[in-house]
Amino acid sequence: MDRPLKVRLERRFADQLTGPVRQRHDETEIRIGPGDVIQVITALHDEPEFRFEFLADLAGVDTGEIMQVVYHLWSTTTTDWLRVIADGLSRDDPRVPSVTFMWKGAEWMEREAYDMFGITFEGNRDLRRIYLPPDYQSFPLRKDFFLPDDAARSPGGGVRPMERTHTPRNAPPTATVRRAGA
Amino acid sequence: MTATTPRPGTRGHDHAGSFAGTPDDPRVQLDRDLGVFEPIPPYPPRTERESEFYTLRDGEMFLNMGPQHPSTHGVLRVVLKLDGEKVVDLDPVLGYLHRGVEKLCENADYHQAICYLDPLEYVSSLFCEWPGVMAFEKLLDVQVPRRAEYIRVLSGELNRVASHALFLGWMALDLGGLTPILWSFIERDEIVDMLASLTGQRMLFNYFRIGGVNGDLNHEFMSRLGDWMSKATEQIEAGNTLLNENEIFVRRMRGLGTIDSKTALRMAMSGPNLRATGVPFDVRRAHPYSIYPELDFDIPTRAEGDCLARYLLRMDEIKQSLRIIDQCLHQMPDGPVIAKLPRLLRPRPGRAYAGIEGPRGQYAAYVVSDGTDQPFRMRIHDPSFIHLQAVGVMMPGHLVADTMAVMASLDPIMGGVDK
Repeated sequence: MDRPLKVRLERRFADQLTGPVRQRHDETEIRIGPGDVIQVITALHDEPEFRFEFLADLAGVDTGEIMQVVYHLWSTTTTDWLRVIADGLSRDDPRVPSVTFMWKGAEWMEREAYDMFGITFEGNRDLRRIYLPPDYQSFPLRKDFFLPDDAARSPGGGVRPMERTHTPRNAPPTATVRRAGA
Repeated sequence: MTATTPRPGTRGHDHAGSFAGTPDDPRVQLDRDLGVFEPIPPYPPRTERESEFYTLRDGEMFLNMGPQHPSTHGVLRVVLKLDGEKVVDLDPVLGYLHRGVEKLCENADYHQAICYLDPLEYVSSLFCEWPGVMAFEKLLDVQVPRRAEYIRVLSGELNRVASHALFLGWMALDLGGLTPILWSFIERDEIVDMLASLTGQRMLFNYFRIGGVNGDLNHEFMSRLGDWMSKATEQIEAGNTLLNENEIFVRRMRGLGTIDSKTALRMAMSGPNLRATGVPFDVRRAHPYSIYPELDFDIPTRAEGDCLARYLLRMDEIKQSLRIIDQCLHQMPDGPVIAKLPRLLRPRPGRAYAGIEGPRGQYAAYVVSDGTDQPFRMRIHDPSFIHLQAVGVMMPGHLVADTMAVMASLDPIMGGVDK
């Protein structure tokens, strides 16, 4: 755990942070709103006290209530992985700015998150499905998408369960949707 | 009957003409089947980039490579946009090998999830298991016994040598040389058999467990390893001279598929492909894990960033791996090989990220726990996926035949790309 990094992050991003800076093992975690992504990522990449130049990972997460986009960054200035969570994306229309302006290599990772979660990355020039066929309708890593074994429990049970999009709001009360608190 | 008149019952123009244009016409049928792999997609473009790519300028054409092309190391389809023999742009089409590993892991418990990670990159299975297992251990706050860590590093480095040996062979094969792959399979087979005596499997080892490894070192493994180590350096050197001193190979690879360090970082590349551009980023040193801080080894780098540099860098890495294996054997402590854990694991709600250095770059896993016995979210980061994307940056301006060379030098494994 890199305590000084926590202090630096709290001082620099006091206005953007939407939760406490958490640290565990060799990871430091900050949460920001989706609107602040460009500002925070640019600051983390460019400013000499951070210099997070290596994008280790970009992932989408569906908590069952909201969507998140999680960036993992690495820098020579700290011994920790930095996890930036863009929090609180609505499940009906998740939108977040793209980071392809900084790391062009994020393009496919964002395509993957779009393919699996339906998250729209604004500014990504090539946001189309990457693994699944182009006429595929639903987003398989969402928590209301069930595997064929569980189709009977799925909110869209009965009507081509693999090929429908759902929102938990419209799900019938009998449907079980796994949820984690954010 | 003259020679020009078709005999009854054979296929003359008369016979074929009888159902030309009807659905029974074999030629029409053939056209329809081939239509599946037509380069231009049968739907309107979905993005700016797609419409730009699928619009031809004067003198340009499309060429479809794959998905059964022998040089693409798996089932990958690449649509090339050509101007004469020069590649203008390319659009890889993925998903032919997609299995949905992340979803499968989220529907399995923590022990079961490990075996879904193996087939991701089937030539370096141990490195696919490692980040997943490490992330689970972080969630559970498990201390891994030191002997288990040493065995992990030992078997992992062996796997790295096997993977790099196969890379050498494949790369030469893609350039048209058949001998190196036969030579490199000698090394790989020996290592794989050795690991089979340790883990029980030749390819998908499924050896790492949460809190340690599946079994202790055994006599057969140790004696085979001893035999191999005594001649490994020599044999690998011999294999290297086959290519390093081959003028055709060197002249073709030099200056091909060049990428500079800034672009490589912008493409989020890692591993040997990033180090070949001069960035000394190796997760083993940059973000130490396991027992790597205690071991003595170098991080080779090269400045050129071309195919030859990527090839030579991997050969240097094999030497460093042999050094690490040697140290592991000398420093191997006694003790248990797995921590005591309950059979049903329910980590506290939380998040964990683990990244390791594999033969292709940074393998990582991000796991979210919700307090049940199944991972709530399991994200797998695979370097092959990232590096395949960089082909689009390297290729424009090169010849069609060099596509395979550049792709082989990045060493992507389609099992990892498609997850």
